[in-house]
Amino acid sequence: MFRSPKCGAFTAALLMSISPVLIAGPLGIGAPATAEMIAGWDIDIRPDGQGLPPGAGSVADGEGLYEAQCASCHGLFGEGAGRWPVLAGGEGTLDTAHPEKTVGSYWPYASTLWDYIHRAMPYPAPQSLTDDEVYAITAYVLYLNDIVDDDFVLNQETFQEVKMPNEPNFYIDDRPDVVNTRCMANCADPALFEIVTTINGVTPTAHFKEDSGVAANHYGNESSGAESVKVALSDAAVAGESVHAKACNVCHGAGIAGAPVTGDAGAWTDRIAQGMSTLNKHAIEGYVGKNGVMPAKGGNMALSDDEVANAVAFMVESSQ
Amino acid sequence: MTKLFEPSLPKLMEALASEAQGLKGMDRRNFLKGGIAAVAGLASVQIIPKANAEPNLPPNIPEWQTYLGRGVVAKPYGEPSEFEDLQRRTVPWLTADAQSSISMTPLQDLEGIITPSGLVFERYHGGIPNVNPDQHRLIIHGLVDRPLVLSMDDLRRFPSVSEIRFIECPANGGMEWRGAQMEAVQFTHGMLSCCEWTGVKLSSLLAEVGVKPEGKWILAEGADAAGMSRSIPIEKALDDALIVWGQNGEALRPEQGYPVRLLLPGWEGNTSVKWLRRLEVGDQPWHHREETSKYTDLMPDGRARRFTWVQECNSVITSPCPEKPLRHRGFLEIQGFAWSGKGKIKAVDVSFDGGVNWQRAELKGLVLDKALTRFSLQTQWNGEPWLLQSRAIDETGYVQPTLRQLRDQRGGWSIYHKNSIHTWNVTEKGEVYNVQIS
Repeated sequence: MFRSPKCGAFTAALLMSISPVLIAGPLGIGAPATAEMIAGWDIDIRPDGQGLPPGAGSVADGEGLYEAQCASCHGLFGEGAGRWPVLAGGEGTLDTAHPEKTVGSYWPYASTLWDYIHRAMPYPAPQSLTDDEVYAITAYVLYLNDIVDDDFVLNQETFQEVKMPNEPNFYIDDRPDVVNTRCMANCADPALFEIVTTINGVTPTAHFKEDSGVAANHYGNESSGAESVKVALSDAAVAGESVHAKACNVCHGAGIAGAPVTGDAGAWTDRIAQGMSTLNKHAIEGYVGKNGVMPAKGGNMALSDDEVANAVAFMVESSQ
Repeated sequence: MTKLFEPSLPKLMEALASEAQGLKGMDRRNFLKGGIAAVAGLASVQIIPKANAEPNLPPNIPEWQTYLGRGVVAKPYGEPSEFEDLQRRTVPWLTADAQSSISMTPLQDLEGIITPSGLVFERYHGGIPNVNPDQHRLIIHGLVDRPLVLSMDDLRRFPSVSEIRFIECPANGGMEWRGAQMEAVQFTHGMLSCCEWTGVKLSSLLAEVGVKPEGKWILAEGADAAGMSRSIPIEKALDDALIVWGQNGEALRPEQGYPVRLLLPGWEGNTSVKWLRRLEVGDQPWHHREETSKYTDLMPDGRARRFTWVQECNSVITSPCPEKPLRHRGFLEIQGFAWSGKGKIKAVDVSFDGGVNWQRAELKGLVLDKALTRFSLQTQWNGEPWLLQSRAIDETGYVQPTLRQLRDQRGGWSIYHKNSIHTWNVTEKGEVYNVQIS
């Protein structure tokens, strides 16, 4: 960092001499946050558009980016894969027994979409997209929800035109909404009791009930993740294990979007037969197969080619 | 003298021989001597088979008393006994992966009101970041006179406070909205923990930066992969909000936001943003993903409540519970937790008949603002079936509602803020099941 922890606020302020305010607070603790420091961290976007950076992205640009970066979890049409969030559809379901809360059916502000994609997506590689890419993907997700047309280009100005249909349906918390009284005797009629019990088998109870047959770990009995694989690994594969945990396990741990599960030899046999150079090429450049989508570098473009190749080595050696 | 057990002589000898197999030298001789003495006395004295099958029980000298134990700093950071099975647990099908997921505190195993740091429930939106405290900073900026960047060293220079407060995920009990589902108190109520937290009042930090008059909201943002962010009204920030680095006497655990987190007592847990890196003062809320798409409350008419911050008064019986069934007839102390995001617990009542009649329970130990509070009712159980409930009342006079009352207002499709009276069905055998009365 720019200063020693022992350096006083006053010295730091003089050295930086950027902040217009040199008057310290009541206790004089801390250093002035410079405009440059704030600019690097101030990523939030508000419904009025405050925070949106210069840049632009079209629905057309967004389509390719979405398919490469997002579709593996959210589905090609925003329908969601496995338990990952559904992004599109759901209109008219909010007052039914099975409400589907999507960007189009539920989210009140488009700014939230830009903000969240930028700060937290793609899931394994947050804050890796450029501003133009975020504009484009945001535009495409809005298009998937029929909120903008296919020729729409999102930028700071056109953002102001976007209105989310469900915005008027949010209201400020009005609890307490129920008023119980402290009745002590004859408070209910037991004749009217309807006792509803639990559904068998949904609770992980192995830790206190014998023969319950339900595992208590996160993936239950279906786990075939890398943790359970014990084979002698090459140096490359050993180096790739941590990359796998950070960038690949999201899909290859649970078989999302057609991803072959690491450790599942059956799923890997044909792929391994294609040779390491083909597997590395697909992993580094991305690949669309009949079973699903492999985003380039798993969506984590910050990874070097060598890191990706190491992760491939780990997956291959763990899956033979 | 009552004879508890009379094993046949051949069977007893067989058991003794089998037990002696694993012993050597003096151990074996002593064991056999004791066993033979027991056999010799079979006809005349009480035989407790456990004394033979379990050589550590009286009248035998326990094995661990016969040699020196472990010395100091054999474990520089101590851990629970190997005989304890204290674990956070999750429900595997609940979330897509383990990074954006939740685990629950084993309330059934807790004593007192403090949750040990290693058992505090976990909720991450992008996994636990591995934050190096020397390279971590908190920036406070926006509508302030003096934007500041604070190191951990800086933060510790502020006047500090320590407070015991609960943290609860608003989804606690959420799996039960559509019907009884979880056959364990750890899963029905375990998104709940209570710790002593040490840090600085947020109001002290805000005084240091000088909030401009138009500053009405604060965005709190984490340094995790999700960049977790929530909009906090200035009133809460100036009331009882803390910026904490200490938890139960030591540094925050990584799971709870190491090295520093926001703590908003009594409010839904995710507003207490962990791994806190930034506070921005603004004039309006940001409406970020975790306060629009998530953590809003869909009502039956299709409209939704936003900014449902407060965790309303709630309680649950933890002894007995599905994990801790009744094993003894006779005297029984019923125990549980009560808590309210609006202040202190005033009273707790217990019902044995599904809420028809109620008895006042005692509050035990410390009764603190926005903290877990123990309640207790001493009674007798002699095999009668119970529909066991607890009902808490907080100092505002709010009475914990019935499930029917909540559903009448909110329908059955909600996710968050289910604080209704909970029912355990205690059977004649003492087994305990999760049921709902509708």
